[in-house]
Amino acid sequence: MKYDVRYKPTFATVFVTLQPGEKIVAEAGAMASMDGNITVETQFSGGLIPALLKTYLGGESMFVNTFTNKSNKPQEVVLTQSTIGDITRIELNDRELCLQPGAYIAHAGNITLNVHWAGFASFFAGEGLFKLKVGGNGIVFIGAYGGLSKRQVKNDFIVDSGHLVAYDPSLKMNIKLAGGLLGSVTSGEGLVNRITGNGEIYMQSRSVSGLVSFLRPKV
Amino acid sequence: MKLEILHQPDSAIAKINLDPQEELVAEAGAMVAMSSNLNVSTTLRKGKGGGIMGGLKRMVAGESLFLSVFRTTSEAGELYLAPKFMGDLLSYQMNGKTLLVQSTGYLASTPGVDLELGFQGFKGFFSGESIFWLKISGNGIVLLNAFGGIYEIDVDGEYVVDTGHIVAFEDSLSFRISKANASWWGAIFGGEGLVCRFSGKGKLYCQTHNPSSFGREIGGQLPPR
Repeated sequence: MKYDVRYKPTFATVFVTLQPGEKIVAEAGAMASMDGNITVETQFSGGLIPALLKTYLGGESMFVNTFTNKSNKPQEVVLTQSTIGDITRIELNDRELCLQPGAYIAHAGNITLNVHWAGFASFFAGEGLFKLKVGGNGIVFIGAYGGLSKRQVKNDFIVDSGHLVAYDPSLKMNIKLAGGLLGSVTSGEGLVNRITGNGEIYMQSRSVSGLVSFLRPKV
Repeated sequence: MKLEILHQPDSAIAKINLDPQEELVAEAGAMVAMSSNLNVSTTLRKGKGGGIMGGLKRMVAGESLFLSVFRTTSEAGELYLAPKFMGDLLSYQMNGKTLLVQSTGYLASTPGVDLELGFQGFKGFFSGESIFWLKISGNGIVLLNAFGGIYEIDVDGEYVVDTGHIVAFEDSLSFRISKANASWWGAIFGGEGLVCRFSGKGKLYCQTHNPSSFGREIGGQLPPR
């Protein structure tokens, strides 16, 4: 299997070449175009109940499509996301990663997606009551609105809510005021997410909620 | 005429150097900047796809009723054209071929290019996108715009495109609306809905992003107007 992410960072799109017999799983609606000999199958994302949980709690689509090359020649499938922005490829070797709603695009290999309780601290930090966890062996493609930056957190780090895309499951989320009470309000940073522990995080350079609040007074 | 496309793919703009006595037709409102010696007029275009009816049909197709004509006199001139939203531009050499373009994809063309509104009928309706296509023929260059990057596919056999990702295709290709999945169940719930299945030989231009998907994502969070 060959992957090529083109048009980075604004219009990042994954061009996947499937060798005969290979397959890739993508969220519903991710396919932009593909060669005519690729077979598409739709499934509930991990079964009916997990799919319902993923949709209502994890903010992901209920269905996934499996693209399989059943022909005897290499075939290409083009995968993208609904928002404009960057896409990155993450290799999982027996490790897990938590994803924010909407970040998941596709995966290949032996990977499972599950919804987990994230806790009230995560909820108040603006990151939701539940988290989507991917784990296993293989490759995951995640997408963001804006550019993606990876950072290793040591001890603690602060991220504005809406900018966190993916993070190591061992990291803890805590709500925090950006500064003092007055400073937090006047600086426009308000409440921020304080991440504690050791592990990697992925941040996006823009946030959809930021775009919405920019546009709202203009419509 | 010399054409250069700058700032691809996200903020593409066309820089056009016109020789003396040259002309370029563009969608109304596409001009960003130009030399002061250029003459600008508005046209409904005569001939094929021209006149009042042609203009009205173009308006129905999501294009502007009027087209702007930029003309140089005895001196050369420079012109910058860009679409409204961020995205890529494509210049296509007609050479007598016929190109079918998604209704909002037209930006500009040289005078030898004919624009005509093609009606795809029910086929267009079921593709879930705008019913209207522009049929572009003749000789010269046509400039197209898209949401996202534009990638070219040299179709030889069968190729499948989600309907929201088509920019343009040569009419040597035929297409039918079909399901992405073998089963109806998958077609309805798989999120790909109906797709265009192209066959034959020819060039197909796709955009990396689907404007309706992005619109739904953002628009759903905005207050109603």
